[in-house]
Amino acid sequence: MTRFVSTCHLLAVINRKTKLTEKEMKKLIYVENLKKEFKKTIKDPGLKGSIKSFFKPKNEIITAVKDISFHVDKGEVLGFIGPNGAGKSTVIKMLTGILTPTSGRCEINGKIPYKNRKNYVKEIGVVFGQRTQLWWDLALRETYTVLKEIYEVDDESYKKRMAFLNEVLELDDFITSPVRTLSLGQRMRADIAASLLHSPKVLFLDEPTIGLDVVVKDNIRKAIKAINSEENTTVILTTHDLQDVEDLCGRIVMIDKGSKVFDGKISDLKSRYGSSRELKFIPENPDSVKSLDFNKEFNLKSEDMAYENDGVTFSVRFNNDKIGVEKLLNYILSKTHVKDINVSDADIEEIIKGIYRSEVKLDA
Amino acid sequence: MKLLRKTHRMFKLHRIFIKQDLKKLMEYKIDFLTGAVGMLLTQIINIFFLSVIFSNIPDLDGYTFGQIIFIYGFALIPKAIDHLFFDNLWAIGYFIIRKGDFDKYLTRPVSTLFAVTVEKFQVDAFGELLVGILLLGWSIPQLTLNISALNIFLFIIAIFFATFIYTGVKLITSSIAFWTKRSGHIIYMFYMINDFAKYPTTIYNKAVRAVVTYIVPFAFTAFFPASYFIIGGNPWYNIGGTVVMSVILMAVGIFIWNKGVTAYESAGS
Repeated sequence: MTRFVSTCHLLAVINRKTKLTEKEMKKLIYVENLKKEFKKTIKDPGLKGSIKSFFKPKNEIITAVKDISFHVDKGEVLGFIGPNGAGKSTVIKMLTGILTPTSGRCEINGKIPYKNRKNYVKEIGVVFGQRTQLWWDLALRETYTVLKEIYEVDDESYKKRMAFLNEVLELDDFITSPVRTLSLGQRMRADIAASLLHSPKVLFLDEPTIGLDVVVKDNIRKAIKAINSEENTTVILTTHDLQDVEDLCGRIVMIDKGSKVFDGKISDLKSRYGSSRELKFIPENPDSVKSLDFNKEFNLKSEDMAYENDGVTFSVRFNNDKIGVEKLLNYILSKTHVKDINVSDADIEEIIKGIYRSEVKLDA
Repeated sequence: MKLLRKTHRMFKLHRIFIKQDLKKLMEYKIDFLTGAVGMLLTQIINIFFLSVIFSNIPDLDGYTFGQIIFIYGFALIPKAIDHLFFDNLWAIGYFIIRKGDFDKYLTRPVSTLFAVTVEKFQVDAFGELLVGILLLGWSIPQLTLNISALNIFLFIIAIFFATFIYTGVKLITSSIAFWTKRSGHIIYMFYMINDFAKYPTTIYNKAVRAVVTYIVPFAFTAFFPASYFIIGGNPWYNIGGTVVMSVILMAVGIFIWNKGVTAYESAGS
């Protein structure tokens, strides 16, 4: 593990010296008004319904992706987030050439994914966290030999590449095992390595940390960082783990119900929608908090102020636009003596939760 | 030069997967042995019934027992070769598309059809191949065949193209799954028509004969080419027909497959 960490660190240091200047960076991915519709047959429940729909099918058009536009610079790490069923995977599948868009345009490095697919996929790497792309019964080493042939990687580059991937992803321990015997963490590392064998320009990761433990998650993140900085590989990743987003992504695109709802830096998201703060304190005498009555004092709606008392710590979540920290503090201190007190920004998770539940109004 | 490199690459990939499937065979011994024994029993029972029939009648529609066995054996060879290399098409019809597993073939810079078929080498087919060759070997001495260089060449041509009649039928029927999500039973229905091709089609009524000659042309995988070798006939029809049918089926199959790939809808994940 320590070797793993130090390698990543070293790579990061090397990278700082060789980083491309702003001018050399180019827009790599263009997505414009992308739309995808699926036809779905509606069936009445039961066998009778199935038979009826067999003879007289009723179709319904479902729009998975309504109208999405964004672009990505070379070397960027873009987080693609949104609740389940928002259309993230559908967008990724269109960008990787798996699905043909109903309308709209996407262009990656000057190529249109679903046209000239064979040529295009040489330049990208794809990992779907939910299902492996590797061959179930093949030993991992042989898997890479197959991929080497498929991607026409020459012997020398292959050797170098394997050494690098080994270093970053620590494949050595299980490279002789068949894929079916790998643990989820090993399999994910193996999948990521497989997607990088041909040095792609863009790496698509669809939930690369799903179901992994904290340590493995951390390793995978470090590996992604190392690959991004070492080779200036553009990374697009979807995730539900907001730690991934905070650690890796310079920018996020958030989509919901097939439409884009936010596009920008995480810090922008925080400053725009993160007026929510949290004040926590530990009263000297737990009974003294009974004299606090926030509703009466401030008369705010529950979405602007909420409090909770677990017996030891008392916490108040409040909207900073509606009530200042000072006012709140003064009130608390006037009613009770405190042992400890702490005011913090709401974390990204809270903000996103709010957006998903559409508590926070977006105007992006 | 480029084509040569491409073919070389294809063979190399085939080799890796074949090696893998042979290894798997050792790992799942019981499964393989059961399959092989079952297959052998099926063939033995079929041959046994044929011999019972022929012990009571001298010939079937003018064909002797030796000739029938030749046709039967001939039929097994292209079927076995198709089975050996293109077995994964069944999986396309039954679950690869339905489960969204087709995604992975689309992210590789090789033809999807090649990527799908290369990854399975169906070792079970060796049984059929063996039985087919044994039956031919047994029947040839009983027959008066004109063994010339030309005929040996035509034999190889016939076997090769007959194989792609099987593949073509499977390709067309499995491609339907791109739209319907599942077409396993459709493949099965059409594929099973090949059972008619093991016997002289002249013994069937007109409707069956028309189906196996022109619609699902399995007659060209066995009866037509085989009868050219045992009783002679017009090679342009008997062997040429096999080539034409095979080319048509494969062309239609590849066309529908490619259309299907663009209609592919994946599955939620």
